[in-house]
Amino acid sequence: MIYKLKINGTTRSVDVDSDTPLLWVLRDVLGMTGTKFGCGLALCGACTVHIDGHATRSCITQVSSVGAKAVTTIEAVGKTPQGKAVQQAWLELDVPQCGYCQSGQIMSASALLATNPHPTDADIDSAMSGNICRCGTYIRIREGIKRAAQSNG
Amino acid sequence: MNRDHSFPPENRPAPSGISRRQFLKASAAVGGGLLLGFRLPFAGDEAEAAEASGFAPNAFIRIGRDGKIVLVMPYVEMGQGTYTSIPMLIAEELEVDLKQVQLEHAPANEKLYANPLLGVQATGNSNAARGAWRQMREAGAAAKTMLIAAAAKRWNVDPASCRAQHGVVLHEATKRSAKYGDLSAEAARVPVPEKVALKRPEDFKLVGTPAKRLDTPAKINGTAIYGIDVRPPGVKFATLAQSPVFGGRVKSVDDKAAKAVKGVRQIVQLDDAVAVADTWGLRRRVSQL
Repeated sequence: MIYKLKINGTTRSVDVDSDTPLLWVLRDVLGMTGTKFGCGLALCGACTVHIDGHATRSCITQVSSVGAKAVTTIEAVGKTPQGKAVQQAWLELDVPQCGYCQSGQIMSASALLATNPHPTDADIDSAMSGNICRCGTYIRIREGIKRAAQSNG
Repeated sequence: MNRDHSFPPENRPAPSGISRRQFLKASAAVGGGLLLGFRLPFAGDEAEAAEASGFAPNAFIRIGRDGKIVLVMPYVEMGQGTYTSIPMLIAEELEVDLKQVQLEHAPANEKLYANPLLGVQATGNSNAARGAWRQMREAGAAAKTMLIAAAAKRWNVDPASCRAQHGVVLHEATKRSAKYGDLSAEAARVPVPEKVALKRPEDFKLVGTPAKRLDTPAKINGTAIYGIDVRPPGVKFATLAQSPVFGGRVKSVDDKAAKAVKGVRQIVQLDDAVAVADTWGLRRRVSQL
């Protein structure tokens, strides 16, 4: 079945089964490998993308459910004010170690700041609790979100 | 960095000979630049075998005419910082800034890229910087020496009256300077130095200082390539049906129904699992607007 998806501002047409996860569409069909496969069960957050601005686990999001909503991935999140600020803060603080989870971390963090420009520690912990980092970069992730919040005024 | 552990006796900075075993070789790179390969010592018999077979570079410095300095990384970056520490060793002696270098990952080639302390192409045991400590600096120093020699020849001055910094060779007496990229083609024709002088620790500008990680930019915008992102030509994906208990074995497989599914290419029975070469991705047919 053919689906027309709005991804990073561009309409992409893909012919896939209706139950294909959005993550597979991004990675295997469109070759956009910045979004990572972690667990496939929405337990780790590595596959997080924005759908109409909301942080969404693409590994359990069926392509048929996306419809006309706008999908934003790590490849284009830097074009949003929050994404740009988060990436800059991540750079300044050298947040990533191995970096595998960081696409998802950045997507969750930028979605948080879009709705809550000055989150408290509790807000951050709550919004980021579904994003696992095996390297344990949580302290710098929290600092990065705070720095990005400051830079956004 | 703990300096007490940084300079084992054999690594004390001093004018050092590059033995045949560690020899460096320069050749004209594609585009007329300077290509400098170097190898790390192999362990035991492998070292002798590698030596007998001739030149076996383990990593590369590539300086293009456009000034692009590419360092080929023989170790895998897993968050431990090897994509920063190894370039620091080279850049220290090459006299370039870390922001001037670009990194490439070495291809799979055990002969060329074996970890000297493990004997196989592997990264682990916290030994990359330890194993590469001297050779990476010698490679950088040799490249710098050749670039200086090229500049001195062009200017008809004593190489000793020239020095290098920030990717530029300077002759202060005549206030002349030349960028590495401009010198790369001439430097490629300079004989490889028999000996290169390594910097003394007190002269280090990079080693022993904190550095921004060179791998961070690619890890915040989705461009970093991990194993799962590699797409070799013709690669197929498979889904595993594994035994739910540890040590379980496959008794029998009835794959009739699975084979009937559109897109399934092959069903492979393993000792403890069945692999079905089919995923959502395989069933795709892409049409682009």
